[in-house]
Parts: sequence; C-alpha cells; structure tokens
Amino acid sequence: MDWQAARVSLLLAVLTALFLLPLGLALARWLAFTAWRGKPLAEAALMLPLLLPPTVIGFYLLIAFGQGSPLGGWLSRQLGLRLVFSFEGLLFASVLINLPFMTQPIQRAFTAIPNSLREAAWVSGLGRWRTFTRIELPLAWPGLLAGVALTAAHTLGEFGVVLMVGGSIPGQTRTLSIAIYDRVQAFDLGAAQVMALVLVATSLFAVALVFAADRRRPLQER
Amino acid sequence: MGTLQVELRNAAPMRLSAAFDCSPGEVVALVGPSGSGKTSLLRAVAGLLRTKDLRGRIAVGDCAWFDSGKAIDLSPQERHAGLVFQHYALFPHLGAMENALVAAGTSAARAQLPELFERLGLKGLEQRRPTELSGGQQQRVALARALAREPKVLLLDEPFSAVDAPARQALYREVAALRQSLATPIVLVTHDLGEARRLADRVVILDAGETLQTGTPARVFASPRNARVAELVGIQNHFRGHFHKQEPGRARLDWGDSGAVGLQVVDKNRIDDGAAVTWVVAGERIDLLPDGAGERNVLRCRVEELLSLGETSLCNLRPELLPGERVTLTLASGQLRALGVGAGSWLRLAIPPEAVHIMPQKEGAASLPRPGHAM
Repeated sequence: MDWQAARVSLLLAVLTALFLLPLGLALARWLAFTAWRGKPLAEAALMLPLLLPPTVIGFYLLIAFGQGSPLGGWLSRQLGLRLVFSFEGLLFASVLINLPFMTQPIQRAFTAIPNSLREAAWVSGLGRWRTFTRIELPLAWPGLLAGVALTAAHTLGEFGVVLMVGGSIPGQTRTLSIAIYDRVQAFDLGAAQVMALVLVATSLFAVALVFAADRRRPLQER
Repeated sequence: MGTLQVELRNAAPMRLSAAFDCSPGEVVALVGPSGSGKTSLLRAVAGLLRTKDLRGRIAVGDCAWFDSGKAIDLSPQERHAGLVFQHYALFPHLGAMENALVAAGTSAARAQLPELFERLGLKGLEQRRPTELSGGQQQRVALARALAREPKVLLLDEPFSAVDAPARQALYREVAALRQSLATPIVLVTHDLGEARRLADRVVILDAGETLQTGTPARVFASPRNARVAELVGIQNHFRGHFHKQEPGRARLDWGDSGAVGLQVVDKNRIDDGAAVTWVVAGERIDLLPDGAGERNVLRCRVEELLSLGETSLCNLRPELLPGERVTLTLASGQLRALGVGAGSWLRLAIPPEAVHIMPQKEGAASLPRPGHAM
C-alpha cells in the first residue's frame, strides 16, 4: 500500500469537491432555470469531459498550460504558478474534468423543484436569495450530496488525465490509480490488489451514499 | 383596504382582453372553460405572469401594482397578494406552521398564526409535513399561508378542485366566514358554475382571454349577454327563433324556423323586428299544467324521458308541434307524482312572457349546437 499516493488521492478528491461545489452549484442553478437560447450548447460543452478520452483532455491541458505556451509562461512568470507536473495543475485539471459529475445531479435536483413552489415563495414575500436558501437548497440537497460523492469517487479513480498532466511524481502527483499502474508494471500484483480494493470500496460507499440520500429526498411524488 | 381594479391586454403567448374590479369584502369569481385565461389573469394580478407585451393596469385602492403606461411593474414580493395555488404548492420540507410562517412578514402576522390555525381546524397539525396531511388540510394550510401574508387581495386558483365533497363543503363555509372577517377583495378562479353561484357576489365570464360578461350570478344566469355566454354558463334550454314586434312592450317569438309555435314575449326594445335570435328560458320559471288546459304560451309536450334523482327528476319534453326541439327541466318529483306524469304521458308547459330572455343570434352562433339540441 502506497500511503503517500493514498494521501495525494484523498487530498485531491477533497479539494476538487470543495472547489467544485460552489462553482457547480452556481452553474447548475443557472442552467436549471435559465431561458437562454445558448443553453443546449453550454450543456453540451459541460458534458465533453464525459465523452472525450482522458488523454485528449490531458493533451489540450498540456498544450495550454505547458511552459512553452503563452498562458503557461505568463502564469509561471506573474504568479509563480506551474500547472503541469504539479499538484496545483492536477487540481486544476481535476476540477475541470469533474464539472459534469458535480453539475449534472445538482441541475437535475433544481429542475425537479416545481415552479409553483418558487412562485409560492415569491408571492409569500421571499426574495430571490431567501427563496434559494430557504426553499430551493433544502429541496435540492440530495443533488448536492450526489454531486460531491460522484466528484470525489471519480477523482479517486481518474487515471488518464492525471498521467498526462501530472506525470507520476511521488508525493506530488502520483495518485492511487497511478500507483496501481506502477505496481502492475513492476509485477507487484499483491500491492496493486490492496490499492485496487481500497478504490472499489470507496467508490461503492460513495455511490451507495448517493442512493441512500435519494430515497430520503424531500421532493416525493404525492 | 382598497378595491382591486384590473384592466389588462396581452397578445402572446396568452391572449388577454380583460377588465374587472372587486371591492373589499366582495367575492368575484372568474369563470370560464379551461384555456379561457382565468388562471393567467389571476397570475397577472399576483405578478407571476411575466410577458413583455402585457398592457394595462392593476391597482389596489390608490396603489398601482402594474401600469404599462407609467412603466410600473411591482414584483410578486412587493404586491402583497395572498395566493392559494390550485395544487396548493406547499413547501414539502416544512411543517404546516412553518409553511405559514414563511409568508408572515410581520410580528403581528406571526402572533396571529396560532389563532388562525385553530379557526381553520389545523390545531395539533402544526408540525405535520404536507405529505402527512389530507387534501382538505393541505388546502387550509395553503389558505393560512395566504392569510399570513396579510394580503391586500386574496386570490384563490381553483382551490376546491382537488378535494373531496365534505372538505369542499367545509371550505365553502370557511370562505363565507372569511369575507365576514376579512376586508379584502377575494378573487376566485373556477370552472364550476355551481361553485361560482354559491360563493361569488359577482361572476366574470371569460372566454379566450376576453371578459364577456360581469354581473351577479343570478343576473348572468338569467340574462346572458349573448349565445356564447349562455353556452358557457351551461344553460340547457337555449333555442333559436325569430323576433316579431307587436303592440308596444309585446312581441311574438317564433320558435325555430317553422313558425309552428309563436310565444308571447316582452319587447325590451333591444332586438330589431324580424331578427333571428337565440333565446333561453330558465327552467324554474316554467309551470306545469295538466294536459287539457289551453292558454297563451302553453305548449303541449310529451314526456320523452324521466330520470328520478330523489326529490327532483330530470325531465326531457318534446313539444307536440316542434318534434325537433327538446326542453330539459329539473322538476320536483312530488309535483310530477301529483300530476300523474310518467314517461310517454302528455303535459302542458306554461312559459311566462317575462321568463324568455332573447339575444341577437350572430355572436357565437356558429359554436351553438344545432337548433333543437339542448346542451
């Protein structure tokens, strides 16, 4: 068991979910209720990380943020920020590719709230913000939980993008999934077995949590 | 508290051309078939109908809620309307009392809630979630929430459609009691004419977004402005005919096209001589005579069908001289027994001249059923 890799994986999963929650929440809430004509395009763009091979996403991130690129060079000079082969870069990539995992369940949860409930809140005198905090959020929380759980589980399991953008720097960018690959390459199947089991168990737990929360959702059909 | 005045026009997506008012303590029912715009009208008053083409004015007393001329358009939060949604739209994650508390903007409103709950028969149910309440209870919670808002106008969108008959009766009484204690205009949307008749001081008949007629239920039901209103308010006995003036104040109404039966009617100088008209007669003003009598406006009819409904019976009669026509009456079963009437027997109908209400035929004539077929 590579504890260093486990620590990197866990930190990456927690930070990704933490960064992505407010971003995904804002995006999902907007997508759920906007009447904007470009909405299908925005939704399609958001789905891309699910459809493209991870290597393609990793490739474009390398091109965009590598030292040779104008953006990468600028970030490095002005902010001292290196977004390839570093934990920060890995986190950035992780946030980007997990957008659909966070946004989709939250958006669905908001869409499921009948419009009449929001109208009832407005007529009752609640402003947009208080309607959001007192009515929409409590009704959409299973969606939020699902978004966080799926994002965390998916981050733990991500392989292609991590390898492309992060490489395999121990303590920095070597996650559990990369460590498993390394161990298999070295014919150390026992170590790979243990780590693989840990990943299976964590993912199963996360998804079971989502389903359990969904059974207790406040918006039941009457 | 001020009078609610509404005058609205809209082109798309929902055509509206409507005007009505409602004084404090008055109950006005917006009545019309589905798609007639009655709910849209109610939503416009609450500030929920947002279309850029909406024109006109909504005001309560001196306070304008909407005025397209002055670019006034208050948000639903600023309007202080109490709205009971058709399916109540209670917040499912909150208890009954919390649902009402959401709308209680002032400490006075909050302080009154326990008493309101008691009056509405909701005592002991304060903590229950909406899913743990019956339909009638949900409806009363929705009403409590609307009242907690301290509304300047109370709006009820088909509030009785989703509850069973006993709960509905209880709520009729509640609305009747409300208007005693509440000095706000109450606007009720319904497609049920009986409900409108029972609850409303005045009804506004809506069709395709247009207000066709406004008045007391008795007036609208007895004197529909045109054939379309007659059809919408469900008057069974409406027929076609031709109107012929006679001596001042009197006229002859030829029933149908044949001229076989001429009825004596009152001439109110509103219909031209010789005009083709639609006419209605309220069943309760028709008298029954034993067969054999003969006077003016007395029609020999055969009882074609007799459906006993307990104290009353539904009776289909065919005039002897106009076999294509049919008159439908709801009659006291006792009276029918006293006359010895059964299916197939003969009767005479006496129609008083004042009971016949005559309208020009052109409006909505196309949508009428063929002459002789009662609705």
